[in-house]
Amino acid sequence: METNIIPRKGGFNFDNYKRNLFLEQKGLTLPKVTKTGTTIVGALFKDGVVLGADTRATGGSIVQDKDIIKISYIAPNIYCCGAGTAADTLFTTALISSQLELHRLTTGRQSRFNSAETMLKQLLFRHQGHIGAALILGGYDINGPVLAHIYPHGSSEHHPYITMGSGSLAAVSVLETRWTKNLERQDAIDMVKDAVEAGIFNDLGSGSNVNLVVIEKNKTESLREYSKPTPHHPKNCDYKYKRGTTAILKESIKDLVVVTDGEAMDIS
Amino acid sequence: MSPGSYNGGAVVAMIGKNCVAIASDKRFGVQMQTIGTEFSKVFPVTEKSYVGLPGLTTDTQTLQEIFRFKANMYKLREEREIEPRTLSKLVSSTLYERRWGPYFVHPLVAGLDKNNQPFICAMDLIGCITETCDFVVGGTSEENLFGICESVWEPDLEPEDLFETISQALLCSIDRDCFAGWGAVVHVITPERVITRTLKSRMD
Amino acid sequence: MNFVPTALEFDTYGQNGQNGGVPTSLYFDPYDNNGGTALGLSGEDYSIVASDTRQSSGFDIYSRCDQKATKLTENSVLALGGFRADGRSLTKRIIQRMEWYRHAHEKEMSFRAISQLLSVTLYSRRFFPYYAFSLLGGLDENGKGVVCSFDSVGSYHDEPSCVVGSGSALMQSFVDNQIAFHNQQVNNEPISLEKAIRIVKDSFDGVAERDIYTGDSLDIFIITRDGVTTEQYPLRKD
Repeated sequence: METNIIPRKGGFNFDNYKRNLFLEQKGLTLPKVTKTGTTIVGALFKDGVVLGADTRATGGSIVQDKDIIKISYIAPNIYCCGAGTAADTLFTTALISSQLELHRLTTGRQSRFNSAETMLKQLLFRHQGHIGAALILGGYDINGPVLAHIYPHGSSEHHPYITMGSGSLAAVSVLETRWTKNLERQDAIDMVKDAVEAGIFNDLGSGSNVNLVVIEKNKTESLREYSKPTPHHPKNCDYKYKRGTTAILKESIKDLVVVTDGEAMDIS
Repeated sequence: MSPGSYNGGAVVAMIGKNCVAIASDKRFGVQMQTIGTEFSKVFPVTEKSYVGLPGLTTDTQTLQEIFRFKANMYKLREEREIEPRTLSKLVSSTLYERRWGPYFVHPLVAGLDKNNQPFICAMDLIGCITETCDFVVGGTSEENLFGICESVWEPDLEPEDLFETISQALLCSIDRDCFAGWGAVVHVITPERVITRTLKSRMD
Repeated sequence: MNFVPTALEFDTYGQNGQNGGVPTSLYFDPYDNNGGTALGLSGEDYSIVASDTRQSSGFDIYSRCDQKATKLTENSVLALGGFRADGRSLTKRIIQRMEWYRHAHEKEMSFRAISQLLSVTLYSRRFFPYYAFSLLGGLDENGKGVVCSFDSVGSYHDEPSCVVGSGSALMQSFVDNQIAFHNQQVNNEPISLEKAIRIVKDSFDGVAERDIYTGDSLDIFIITRDGVTTEQYPLRKD
């Protein structure tokens, strides 16, 4: 408990590592983590960049989350799609976005795409691929619209259109057919939507809805549930149970104090 | 065999109309042998927020103490109770800190916030949060619970109806999982009161 | 699925000569799991066999219209989960044996005879099993609904309801609760055929939401004294 009482300065904690390694050597298999299983897409158009993602998270063959947000905020002008280990993509992007926020407050300038890209790839390279985050980074800064992908080992490349994740094979066929230079905004949105939908339908790791983010000069638009290609069936039966259906052995009720007199000070 | 199914257990949380419910089985076992039948995996952190920690029991108990400690420190520092959403971030960052030496738990957080809005979420063992507006499940009966909850849950259930739905979902799921069962306990959290009921279930 | 039928694989110990260069392992894995879920329900005078039509492997969909259930006679339907190639081959073999029976005895096989045939056919491959989980639904000699579930080597028994395949864990608890009324104190009226069909549809909708290997479309076979009727129902396609 000692380590938990002394406030930690941050960074990873390896206290359980040896124990878990021992368990693994004893023949226990370590549990599966939630994977995004994902189709993520990004494409440049005439005066901006579109990012797109599906919304399914899987653990093995089970859908853990039907509406996960895979396009993370990095800065007002930079967003990032994540594929791979869900926790890694979420924490990595949150960490870098916080560092960039502090940097903006210090310098008073818009964040540069290259800063975000370099910080992400250096973090990933430092951990030698153990942080399982495959990212598509899109943004608009003084150099115009930019799009890059970053692999878990820390390599990155700039391309005009990119797809990653288990649905990338399905999505890339749409991009290769339809991407051209100087696409119109709506054409780019439609193309990215169709590419993600190709992943949703043809890859079992991807599913549910399409989320999009469109980044242009001084304007970022987040389009949640831009397309819902798999509507939910209404139920054919009513499954509300009659009260008293379940047998109870014991009951205890704890009444809570409800403050009705005067207003509490909001200190949040 | 995995550390997550060494002791067994099932936890489920559901949202109702201005209320939430969280339920757990009571078995404590070591692989196929049942050791105890009074071990709920759900713990109160504040009056209106509960955390469920199915998984390896040693980690369940260690984490329960850590969260009790951290929530108390939060209360001393901030002079207010921790909100369930904040609690979920606390749980998540505690787990991700141990990204390469994780605790083998599958935590669930359920509660009402300061405006009595319901909140539930689940996490994997390294802290990836799944926040939903219907139900979350965890433990060795995860698959059974997913299937039955997907069909029987409906929106805007009153506390008493939510109790029936969550109880039926849990009881039928643990009947098909040999690592979970031996009694169950349900907490229904409403703005006025917390109702805790022990259910009658198969003891095999 | 992996075949290494021609070359023997030497493991590193063999190559290093630590085992005298003798091949110590042969890698041969002729099985795959193609997903899919099948459900069988039986009532007083009916039984229902339902299965989804997705065939898949890994993260790929191989087919969206692969029928996993087959009508064998006017009162029996066979559904198979697990490895599709074995499932098809097993179905073909059962149908063949049923035809020989018809020629030899000048009558159709009864439900009980078919379930016994299926069991001995599976057990005949005890040491190289069909990787198929079978579910046989139909009416017995008294016209009562029966569902039998089989493991891959022929052990079988009657059940009021059973589920096989990738979504079995997800669906079984729900079916226990809604068809057999497990854990319900107040509810136990027998389920009408019409309501049972609606419960079947909802249970597949629920499983298709959460199991990535179940989806696309649902085939429902309804077996009554008047014979077998079928119904289709769309499922999620993602």
